[in-house]
Amino acid sequence: MAPRMWQCLIVLSVWFVLPPTISRAADHPSDEFLQMIVQLIGNSDREFRAAGLEQVRTSVKGVPATKLFVAQLPKLDSAGQAALLSALADRGDAAARPAVVELVTVGRDEQVRAAALAALGSLGGTADLPLLIKALSSASAVERAAAQQSLVQTKGDTVNKKLVAESKSAAPAVKTALLEVLTIRRASDELPAFLAAVTDDNAQVRAAALSALGQLGHPEQIAGMLAGVLKSAKGNERDNAEKDVAAICSRIGNEDKRGSVLIDALNTVPVADRDELLSLVGRVGGKKLISFVADIAAGDDAARRKLAIDALSKWPDASVADQLLELISRATDAAERHLAFQAYVKIAAARDGRSDKQRLDRMKEAMKVAQTTEEQSLVINRTRTAYDVESLRFLLPFVDQPQFAQGACETIVEIAHHREVRDPNKAEFDKALDKVIETSKDPVVIDRAKRYQRGETWERPKK
Amino acid sequence: MLDTAFEALKKFDWGSDLAELAAIEDAAIAGHANPETREELENRLISALNGELTRDAQDYVCRKLAMVGTVASVPALAGLLVKKENSHLARFALERIPVAEAAQALREALSHVDGSLKVGIISSLGARRDSAAVATLGGLIGDRDPAIARSAALALGTIGNAESAQALTAAMRTSPINPQAIIDGLLSCAEAMLVSDQRAAASAIYKTLAADSHPRLVRLAATRGLLSCGSKQA
Repeated sequence: MAPRMWQCLIVLSVWFVLPPTISRAADHPSDEFLQMIVQLIGNSDREFRAAGLEQVRTSVKGVPATKLFVAQLPKLDSAGQAALLSALADRGDAAARPAVVELVTVGRDEQVRAAALAALGSLGGTADLPLLIKALSSASAVERAAAQQSLVQTKGDTVNKKLVAESKSAAPAVKTALLEVLTIRRASDELPAFLAAVTDDNAQVRAAALSALGQLGHPEQIAGMLAGVLKSAKGNERDNAEKDVAAICSRIGNEDKRGSVLIDALNTVPVADRDELLSLVGRVGGKKLISFVADIAAGDDAARRKLAIDALSKWPDASVADQLLELISRATDAAERHLAFQAYVKIAAARDGRSDKQRLDRMKEAMKVAQTTEEQSLVINRTRTAYDVESLRFLLPFVDQPQFAQGACETIVEIAHHREVRDPNKAEFDKALDKVIETSKDPVVIDRAKRYQRGETWERPKK
Repeated sequence: MLDTAFEALKKFDWGSDLAELAAIEDAAIAGHANPETREELENRLISALNGELTRDAQDYVCRKLAMVGTVASVPALAGLLVKKENSHLARFALERIPVAEAAQALREALSHVDGSLKVGIISSLGARRDSAAVATLGGLIGDRDPAIARSAALALGTIGNAESAQALTAAMRTSPINPQAIIDGLLSCAEAMLVSDQRAAASAIYKTLAADSHPRLVRLAATRGLLSCGSKQA
């Protein structure tokens, strides 16, 4: 018999010979149980330790037990301390708070301090706000993130007010973090503080304030936000700022009211600055604003026309398509006409509430007015958003024209990707895909065409 | 309707249209509320099982007897226990028929079978949590066939009473041919005891298995068990 088995038998024999030991232990089950948990917390095996920590989280309620568990903190290594802090946080007994606060300041390493900061979210209160706010300036990203998360979790009626007060004099990075915390806390009573920050000199602060208003604000805040939009740098910051304003507008159910609210807000902006906000008008969209923008796009001022065409290209639906088509036909400047053409194709291809046939009809109109190979190629490319067998029929003749063949092949496989279009017209698609396989020089397009013929799918590579 | 269904049953296989047997299904369901319907159906099913049926039809009948069977079905099902092609179907029914005679039939069949049939019957006795089988199963833990020894240990664990725990512990002391199965059995036993609020007995088993002499995973399972005992009390 193996030595291990003998050991096992000896243990079993001892147990059976000494039943009083068991009965004595059963007299004090709680003490024995607590000691077992304590031993497991200090176990070097992670799974045994996890079993003990699970009891810290869920079992043996009460302050004495919490204090016993807290007393183990100094005896543990860093990983053990961090794990126990997390379990104490989940336990939610504020009796652990003094030890947690101490570890925030004297914790041996980043892992422990971050765990202590994270635990303060559930164990601490308003008294701990200064400590957490101070940690937002920590050199450690992990500690900053833990402090920010705890600020989100901290309970108390006055927490939001205190955070706003602290944010006024805070450095930009801390101010940004505090605004983000207030946003996640849904601090809708603090909208004036967000509005005050939209024109901050720091871009991150502005972005955080505008984002907060985009999520929590009401139409009344739009006028104030416009100053922030105008102060934002063109490019990503401006785009995001416009989207934040558009987010509030999108919460206004009535389209006419949405337009009126935006126009009222625009009227509070100096006339000289209004054209800069045309792009925002385009993002909001709506019938009421079409003529306002279209008139500028057809006006005498070339610079304003360009801004207006850009605004029309950002319209959330295809309701401005006819205006853009007219601009294309009337334009005398080639660059301006091309801009309008690109805007028309973009709008026409949008997958809004229209049918695939309506999208294809718009593409056919675009092809009629296209003047260059580049413009025709753009139409061929964007026809991919009209999932219809008619789109295939529209595209097939271009496969025979060398200057369009590669683009047409790619768009055909994009349409063939949609099984609901492909399967009911299998014979027609198979024939077209044969042509694609024969013509395309792109191995990915050829592979996709073959897959679709076999009834298989294709997964778009992640960018 | 029932006559037509029983006529169709004679040629039944699992590729057949189940709609032909719908009257039997309906009677089986109705039998829960109507003892006369249940008794009539049971008698017809027993007659069919004793007559000429395809294997799939026997399978079907056993499944229905598992639903409506009583002590009257036990002899017909017991006869199938020793047949290699039918034993598991008979066990399926006998595991579920809530009369002591069904367990007795399983116990009696043990001495007439070997190999996989014996393993199956042992596991059915475990599934029934048949305390009357503890002594027999305790003896089988030392069987030369490791599959039989293992299934006996696991069945004792599933039965999960003080006697089965004692049998497993005794087997561990005297003839641990298959220690892993005995440990699995003891863990099952302790879990069953914990569920039925026998914390002290469960805790005693877990303490034994938490000893350093056992492999890490056994100690971990036993430790978790001990914590469950403690947290139930705390």
